[in-house]
Amino acid sequence: MTPQNSLSLDQAPPIGVPLRFFVTAPLFAVTAALLALWQGADLFGSRWSPAMLGITHLLTLGYLGLIMLGAILQMLPVVAGTPVRRPVPVAGAIHVLATGGIALLCYGLIFTAPLALKIALPLLGTALLSFAALVFLTLRRALPQNMTARAMRLAVLMLAATVLLGLVLLSNHAFGWWLQAREALAELHLTWGLLGWVGLLIAGVAFQVVPMFQLTPAYPVRLTRRLVPALFILLLALAAASRFPEFQLALKILLAAGFAVFALTTLQLQAKRRRKLSDVSLDLWRGGLIGLLSAVALWLAAQLVPAIGELQGYGMLLGVLMIVGFAMSIINGMLYKIVPFLVWFHLQGRRGANGTTVPNVREILPESRSRPQMRLHFAALAVLLAAVLVPAVFAYPAALLFAVSNFWLWLNIVAAGRTYRRVAARSGEAAAG
Amino acid sequence: MSDRLVDARWLEPPEPMELTLAALETLEPGGRVRLLIHREPYLLFPILEEWGYAYQIHSGDDGTYEILIRHKEQAAP
Repeated sequence: MTPQNSLSLDQAPPIGVPLRFFVTAPLFAVTAALLALWQGADLFGSRWSPAMLGITHLLTLGYLGLIMLGAILQMLPVVAGTPVRRPVPVAGAIHVLATGGIALLCYGLIFTAPLALKIALPLLGTALLSFAALVFLTLRRALPQNMTARAMRLAVLMLAATVLLGLVLLSNHAFGWWLQAREALAELHLTWGLLGWVGLLIAGVAFQVVPMFQLTPAYPVRLTRRLVPALFILLLALAAASRFPEFQLALKILLAAGFAVFALTTLQLQAKRRRKLSDVSLDLWRGGLIGLLSAVALWLAAQLVPAIGELQGYGMLLGVLMIVGFAMSIINGMLYKIVPFLVWFHLQGRRGANGTTVPNVREILPESRSRPQMRLHFAALAVLLAAVLVPAVFAYPAALLFAVSNFWLWLNIVAAGRTYRRVAARSGEAAAG
Repeated sequence: MSDRLVDARWLEPPEPMELTLAALETLEPGGRVRLLIHREPYLLFPILEEWGYAYQIHSGDDGTYEILIRHKEQAAP
């Protein structure tokens, strides 16, 4: 960051812009858990079953997607170096369209309701594609050496591609037309969504936030310059290579290696951090990176020993490791940095010189609240993995733990938001008095 | 007048800013805060502007920054 792209308090979007996304997202994960409780062991029969498709999208779009949207809308002016125009109505429109679209999509998928799917189609398409366009165009102004800005642009291109594929699959679902390449497109949709949009974004953001918040040494410059574009090209090539299985396998091995390098480098940097204080967010990051490495290892094992890939539950294990293990852990950890920081920053901005005292970040979101939630999250992950293998025994405890973990996360975010309101009201009174 | 030193090197954000703002609140007229930090505190500058402080930035060879902060009316021209 340079002084040219410093962010004045007036330019920062109001705290409500990201917070509305952060408050909604865990509720989608709670809904997913309640649906899993209702479905019981049957849920783990197939990852393509209507209920599993619905639950997956509650997590990927409802939880991961909404938090990533909110966080990017918050970061965009900082990364681009200029404010985004009319952030409140823009965020409001994207939030309402996306939330409505996700709810209808998941309802339509789970209960096979074509009408809900038909309404979800334009809502999700408008929200996500206009978001991708907004980010891509705004970041034209970012400094060329800003690797996070570049990664964000590539990630939103992957988001747009994932959404377009999703819309094709959804219209096929809603209108029932014949689609020959359905399976191949679904495979590409989930690969681009998880590795492209989620994976590239997490890597690009990590280059900046891991050294800054976890006080680690910087990432190697060559890695920050080359990794994300290389992964992006490999992901694109995957589509082009669909008719050449051996070439495609080589691309996938390179992709797996790229993500493994990212995870191992980050874990290594975290081991070298300057101050070895306990930190819930750091632990969630580490758990997430281990989740990613486990997914890579499982996938590699299946390439070497085909019997592993043919196991019942192999695909679902990969999905749980990537979505709950990798992405949800890291996003949960990011929330524990972003939310208290934003509350603190906006309160600081409101109070002016010699105003009321602002609580510090540890008071805004105390570890006594975040650490138990983290433990529940990892317990839910472990039991979910067990539920994939032995659904009859573990399906209910997994869903229950997952529900409690995400409800607790929601409570923690709401509590931080309430602290903001309380202190902001007090400093308003002080200013008026 | 001696400078008030805030050594915020390798503290996690926003602790450097918390310490700096706390030091400024009790700063005597004519006094200065000397902030040492391991990265450029770009979020601090707009707050300093808004609160009526002037600052000078010196970057060290070792990647650390020294920021000298004082009340605007006493700032050197």
